[in-house]
Amino acid sequence: MRFRFCGDLDCPDWVLAEISTLAKLSSVKMKLLCAQVLKDLLGEGIDYDKVTKLTADAKFESGDVKATVAVLSFIFSSAAKHDVDSESLSSELQQLGLPKEHTTGLCKSYEDKHSALQGKLRETSLRLGRLESVSWRIDYTLSSSELREVNEPLIQLKLQSQGAESGSTETTVVSVSADKFRVLLAELKQAQVRMNALQ
Amino acid sequence: MVVLLSRLPATECIKFCHRVVDGLCGREPPRRSEHSTTWSPEEWLQLLDSLSAFYRRAVGSDSSEEEVLGGLADVGSSHAEAVLSVLRARREEIHHALLDRTNSISSATLQDFDWQLKLSLSSDKISSLHTPLLSLSLDVREDAALRSVTMEMNREELNTLISSLEAANKVVLQLK
Repeated sequence: MRFRFCGDLDCPDWVLAEISTLAKLSSVKMKLLCAQVLKDLLGEGIDYDKVTKLTADAKFESGDVKATVAVLSFIFSSAAKHDVDSESLSSELQQLGLPKEHTTGLCKSYEDKHSALQGKLRETSLRLGRLESVSWRIDYTLSSSELREVNEPLIQLKLQSQGAESGSTETTVVSVSADKFRVLLAELKQAQVRMNALQ
Repeated sequence: MVVLLSRLPATECIKFCHRVVDGLCGREPPRRSEHSTTWSPEEWLQLLDSLSAFYRRAVGSDSSEEEVLGGLADVGSSHAEAVLSVLRARREEIHHALLDRTNSISSATLQDFDWQLKLSLSSDKISSLHTPLLSLSLDVREDAALRSVTMEMNREELNTLISSLEAANKVVLQLK
């Protein structure tokens, strides 16, 4: 069987197996657990103490705790990745054997965070050389060894972009003559107009 | 050493001087093979160096024509006139080349740039990404070597870049 929240593929066996683990939790506890997992996915950090407390009643071993967090993570991120609405997700999870009450709680949490999740996924998608900061300084050159009377402005630009390795930055310092600078700015504005026309 | 020019006929001399100025302005300089019978390799280098230095000095210090002619005293008058006529014709261009040289003193300069607007469709994180991205590639010249730097911006980052550059541009415009 194919599922939309799995990208129109079969549901992975491990997910299938852990859905029955989820069912061992009470639906209220599972909804609270969903909130923790969603926090983790949105980059706000997960509170492991709370997770342990929530799963204490069901007498989960640490392997089960990890599995429930992993399976919830998978369901949320995969559903958001494939833009599945909460109703479809609900019917698919019930087909996979998750009790109705659990499904309702999970899908309610998903619906609330759906757009935030997608925003996060969009933001963390692969980017090459993301521009991070711009600084500039205008110099006015008066004279030089080449030319006695220069009297021309010169723009010093420092551009910082993300390096190929995560966490590294690449810094480019370059000076631009006033003429070239004007052309650069005009072209960037042209690109901006085209970009804005896209949406 | 500009005196070596006298070995060329005056008509050839104008052409040759133009080629030297071409080289000074970043285009193709005269070729040694075309003049191998006129000058020895050593003389060739000396002539090229001194002639190019002569033009740079004349424009760089904004010399009057009398001063320039004074520097050409040991060259025949028809040749001096040829050198001078090239200077008159190309003064603006040489000035521009000297500005470029001034700007690249002790700093990397922007030689050229290109951009590319892309619509990212999908990624491993999200199947429908639909985010426009702008790639900006800068060719930076540093010590005669060209280095290419590429960066990528989404809409917000491009807006930040443009507003930052606009602020700089305002200052530049006030200077004019």
